[in-house]
This record gives sequence, structure tokens and C-alpha cells, in this order.
Amino acid sequence: MSFDDFKLIYVLACLGLGLIILSPTLAMVIKLPGGEQFSEFWVLGPGHMAEDYPFNIAEDQAYKVYLGIANHMGGLQYYRVYVKFRNQTEPLPDSVNGTPSALDPVFEYRLFLRDGEVWEKEVSFSFDGISFEGNSCRVSSLVLDGYVLNVDKLVLWDEENSGFYCQLFFELWIYDGTVSGFQFHNRFVGFWLNMTIPS
Amino acid sequence: MFDSDGWRMIKKFIACFFMVSVLVFSLVHTCFAIGQVDAEEMLNKAENDLASAYASVKEADFVGANVLELLNKLEFAGDLLAEANNAYRIGDYEKAFSLALNCSDTVDNVVQEALTLKSETEEAQGQKLLFTAGVSSACLSVLFVLSLFGWRFLKKAYLKRVLEMKPEVGSEPK
Repeated sequence: MSFDDFKLIYVLACLGLGLIILSPTLAMVIKLPGGEQFSEFWVLGPGHMAEDYPFNIAEDQAYKVYLGIANHMGGLQYYRVYVKFRNQTEPLPDSVNGTPSALDPVFEYRLFLRDGEVWEKEVSFSFDGISFEGNSCRVSSLVLDGYVLNVDKLVLWDEENSGFYCQLFFELWIYDGTVSGFQFHNRFVGFWLNMTIPS
Repeated sequence: MFDSDGWRMIKKFIACFFMVSVLVFSLVHTCFAIGQVDAEEMLNKAENDLASAYASVKEADFVGANVLELLNKLEFAGDLLAEANNAYRIGDYEKAFSLALNCSDTVDNVVQEALTLKSETEEAQGQKLLFTAGVSSACLSVLFVLSLFGWRFLKKAYLKRVLEMKPEVGSEPK
């Protein structure tokens, strides 16, 4: 090893040691960029799995699903979940344009989650006042978490799939401090329901 | 004590008093009933109060303050506001008003508490940074001085080793 090589190794070792000594201070000053920011939003069946969702619906019978949100936005977030109910002809949210469904919400949840936190809620629901007349079915009320919500929805017979189909879906909204209001977070989950004629 | 006219007057007075009381009690409820407009105004106020509280707690959380207690208040207030909105949707304005009022009361001091927590945390962090930077500077100075002495020692040792390796020049054979 030449003298210059020896000198270089010594200087580098001293610099490395200097950096190690400075690292606690640097860690307090330098903020490293976080990873990708996103929110998870899911709905699970009564067995806490992505299966066995309520489908064939009878009047006055209780059903349950699990609704969940996980925050990976890098800080405390304020979420609002809108519960909406639609028939086959009514609009869903538009994922491409990031716009929510034009339907009015029938119910809402609000929650605050810190980065990395998860929220999960058992959503119990039933339907009241399901009446059938020819090729149409009218659903009067949705009972959700003890609230009797007047939905008054007309559902037409779907010949292709043989059923009276409607959908219960959940939209995720997030509070945006820059506009001082909630914005649709472009996430929604839901499941189809088939209104059945009592035998 | 009273003659018949006196008794009649007293009876009339009691009857009038009773009727007026009934009328007042029946109208008080109507006069002070919570209408849709009142509920809507209170909901808007609660919405703004909760949003302000959230913004300040978020700032405090960002600087690393312990906001667990404030977060519990926010969560409780959020539940109240959601319930208030749900009650409003089904036309129960009185319940909506009362829940929204409760929500506003819950977050009443949250903004102030969050600001205090934030400034306390920033101050503590500033002091910690100052202390860490001071210790680092002292250590760096020691490292600098030691490295100079170390370099002198190592250089001497290196040269000594090199000199020892220098081949000796022998005398020419005769």
C-alpha cells in the first residue's frame, strides 16, 4: 500500500466517523420523503372474508357486513363514508373522472385515522316495506344501525339475471384542508342485493 | 271574609289564570321548537368547528405532539356530527340540533389545546435539536483533534515500517 492510499483511507475513515457522529442531528433536520400515499377501503362478508355477502334479501331479516378503512396518507386524516342505495338504472361513482354518484346519501359515518391506523365497523342492515307488483318491486325503508331510512326505491325485474337487483354501496370522502371541505376520494365499495318474493 | 261578588271575582281570576297558563304552556313548545333551519345552522356550525379542530390537531400531530387525548375528542365529536346528519336526514331536527350542539361543545377547546401542544412540542424539539447539535459539534471537535494526533502517530509508524524494510547496501566482495 502506497503512502497516498494510506492517507486516503485514513481521511475517509475520519469522514465516516464524523458522519456517524452527525447522524442524530441530521436525522432531526432532514425529512426523508414518505412512500406512496393512499387509503384502503373494503367491505367484507359476515365471516370477515371477501365472500358470502348478503345477496337474496327478505323483508325484516337482518344482514351484516364489515366496512374497513386503512390510512396510508402519511398523517392524520378525516374521512367521511356515505352510504348510498341504488337500483340498476341509477348512477354509480365514476372512477375514471373521480366523481361521486349523484345519488343523495342515506347515511354517513365520520372518522379520524392517524397514519397506519385501521378502522373497521360492523354494518347491520335490514329492509322494511318490500312490496311486489308485476315486474316491479318497491323498497320503502332501509334500517341501518337502528335508523329507519326512507329510501323508497323502485326496482324493475331484470330478465337477463332473473331478479330484482339493487345495490348498497359506500363512498369514501376525505377532508381537504386546501378547499376546506370534503372531496370524493375516488374509492367506493358495494354489493348487489336481490329482493326476493316471500314464499 | 268575601261576599258572593268577591268569590265570583276570585273564581273568574282562577279560571282566566288557568286558561292563560294552558295557552302559554301549549305555545311555549311551538315557539321554542327546533325547525329545519335551526338544525341546518347548527350542523354547519358543528361542521366548521370540527374542521377547525381537525386542522389544528393535524398540525400538532405533524410536529410529533402527543395528540391521543385530542384525537379521542375528535372521534367522539365526529360520531356525534355523523349521527346529527343522519337524524337530520330522517327529519328529526331536534335530535340533529342537540347532537350538533354537543359536537360543537366537545371540540370547544380543542383548537387552543392543540396549539398549546404544538408550541410545547416545537419548543422541546428545538431544545433537543440544540442539545444534539451541541454534543455532535463537541464530538466532531474531539474527532478532529484526535485525528490530527492519530495521523501524526500513524505516519510515524508507517515511515518507520518502510525504513525498516529498506534493504541494506552491503560492501562489494573483494
